[in-house]
Amino acid sequence: MKVAKLFQKTMFGIFLLFGLIAVSTSALCIWTVDAELSAEYEANSRAIAQSIANSSLDIILNRDLSTLQSLLDQFNEIQGIEYIYITDNQGDILAHTFVPGVPKEIATGERQLAMVERRLDGIGDFVEVASPILEGVVGSAHIGMVQGAVALKLQKAIGRQAYLISIIFIMSIIATHVLVSLVAKPMARLGVYARQLVAPDAPGGLTPGEVQALLERNDEVGQLARVVRHLAVRTAPEQS
Amino acid sequence: MVTTAIAAVVMASGLGAFQAGEGISGSEIVVGMSGPFTGASRSLGIELYRGSLAYFTEINRRGGVNGRTISIKAYDDGYQPEAAVKNTIRLMLEDQVFTLFNYVGTPTVTRVLPLLKSYDGLRFRLFAAFTGSQPQREAPYDRVAINYRASNRQETEGLVSNFRGIGRTRVAVFYQADSYGRSGWAGVRSALASQNQKIVGEATYARGTAYTSSLRRQVAILQESKPDVVISIGAYEACAAFIRDARRAELNVPIANVSFVGSESMLELLKAEGAADGRDYTANLVTSQVVPSYEDVAIPVVKEYRELMAEHAATVTPPSLWARDYRPLARSFVSLEGFINAKLLVEVLKRLGPSPSRSQMAGAVASMQNLELGTGHSVSFAADRNQGSDAVFYATVEQGRFVALRDWKGWRK
Repeated sequence: MKVAKLFQKTMFGIFLLFGLIAVSTSALCIWTVDAELSAEYEANSRAIAQSIANSSLDIILNRDLSTLQSLLDQFNEIQGIEYIYITDNQGDILAHTFVPGVPKEIATGERQLAMVERRLDGIGDFVEVASPILEGVVGSAHIGMVQGAVALKLQKAIGRQAYLISIIFIMSIIATHVLVSLVAKPMARLGVYARQLVAPDAPGGLTPGEVQALLERNDEVGQLARVVRHLAVRTAPEQS
Repeated sequence: MVTTAIAAVVMASGLGAFQAGEGISGSEIVVGMSGPFTGASRSLGIELYRGSLAYFTEINRRGGVNGRTISIKAYDDGYQPEAAVKNTIRLMLEDQVFTLFNYVGTPTVTRVLPLLKSYDGLRFRLFAAFTGSQPQREAPYDRVAINYRASNRQETEGLVSNFRGIGRTRVAVFYQADSYGRSGWAGVRSALASQNQKIVGEATYARGTAYTSSLRRQVAILQESKPDVVISIGAYEACAAFIRDARRAELNVPIANVSFVGSESMLELLKAEGAADGRDYTANLVTSQVVPSYEDVAIPVVKEYRELMAEHAATVTPPSLWARDYRPLARSFVSLEGFINAKLLVEVLKRLGPSPSRSQMAGAVASMQNLELGTGHSVSFAADRNQGSDAVFYATVEQGRFVALRDWKGWRK
């Protein structure tokens, strides 16, 4: 019973410790990954927009728009990019990847080169970045990145971390149980032995072999057993 | 994966360093084709192949060209650019065909063109691709491509011009969301811009959209713009689905398609839907074509095509390339174009003489001036002109079949 209590307290302590670790590492992970991914996401988006803008220049000036569309179709295969459109210097869209059509918010909206958040009806929420083509003299390239992409990656990362911590937690519980049992069992025997010395006729005592084994232990339990026996031996004549 | 493997073999064998075989033996000339033999656009690849094979079969029966028979080595790309690129590498480096022939589609061809440029030393030409887009008609790819057909731009300009002539000036566009659709869209935009007008509405669909898909959202977008006419730049399954949904939504203005659509396959779908629904989905349809009507037997090439397609019907239907559930069309604009492409290639091969080589091909093509292939329109090339025909024809549906359209007044607004 005493062993069980000791065990429960240890388990509770471990549970608290793991909870603290899980919460703190998750919070740290979310903060770090969110900051890193968001920065990377934005940087990549800008780099892609810049790349499209650079690649588009010659095509817009010298080639057919089907070539421009072919370029957009290839970039549109990049994970996270939901849409791309290119406008001329009047703001008219020259090529895009929208299906079933250009959303009204974009068709009629103001062209912005700054990063903007867009909510497109029936499509979703996006972060749109743009890059001017030849300083805007020719037009601009715009790409829409899925806004939930970072959150989705975070969810995945946190989910994996929680899964890992759960496995470690279960393994720790098992290990702790074994270790505590290793300590608690001799302690329980020591308790029984102490009671046996006080009341030798009480039932449930240790066998002479078990007493011998207890006294021969090299650890603290063995030392305590020997001290208890010594005290018992010393106090016995005084009582008699 | 395949591309990398082939490239590795080529590098290891040193083939990349010198000219590969010419695809010609003492008895055979092999030409290579990549096209959609499966998927939502399969009819285009299959019918183009069948039309060409009908003519080649006849030429081979007569002893071939300078004693050599002509065969087509064909691979399926499903109308997907990556597959087309892999097929092209295979045809050039592994099969070492004489020329690339009858390629289908703008998104595929626009990705293949840089490949031809990369292997410029092998002198491969893309002969008579089934696409009207601009890239293979303009620098820097005009040197590696030889086109028979009129361009998308010419087709759409013709449609816009004819509709404008009957007072239909509010033009909306329904198009495939890729380089093919953009090419047609640009043609319409350009034609309208010359009249100081703009496209009043536009809607797109994803390449590979099947007939069973709903295109009601696209119809709703275009309905808002209150168009006088809709010009579709797409493939037959999606375009048929659009017409079906447009008519159901009471968008009854004329709907025009360009030649790439695969007119008969589209018509078959609409006729079957109409029979099931008890309504006519084939009214107010116009198509622009780059070959004459296959119903007009007064045109010599049409007469020849009909005879040879009937005579070699069994030969030109090898099922190994496509699923057995495909029902070949007895006649179609697409197979007629394939037939004419084959005639043009045979003419080039004749001009190349008994020892043809790829490097001589461009010169042989450029030498063709006012060539009569029996279409009623001569074909001319030059050193700075890599498109043989500018002819655009128009057709409409009457009594369940396409007939030549000569009078547009019936659709006057």
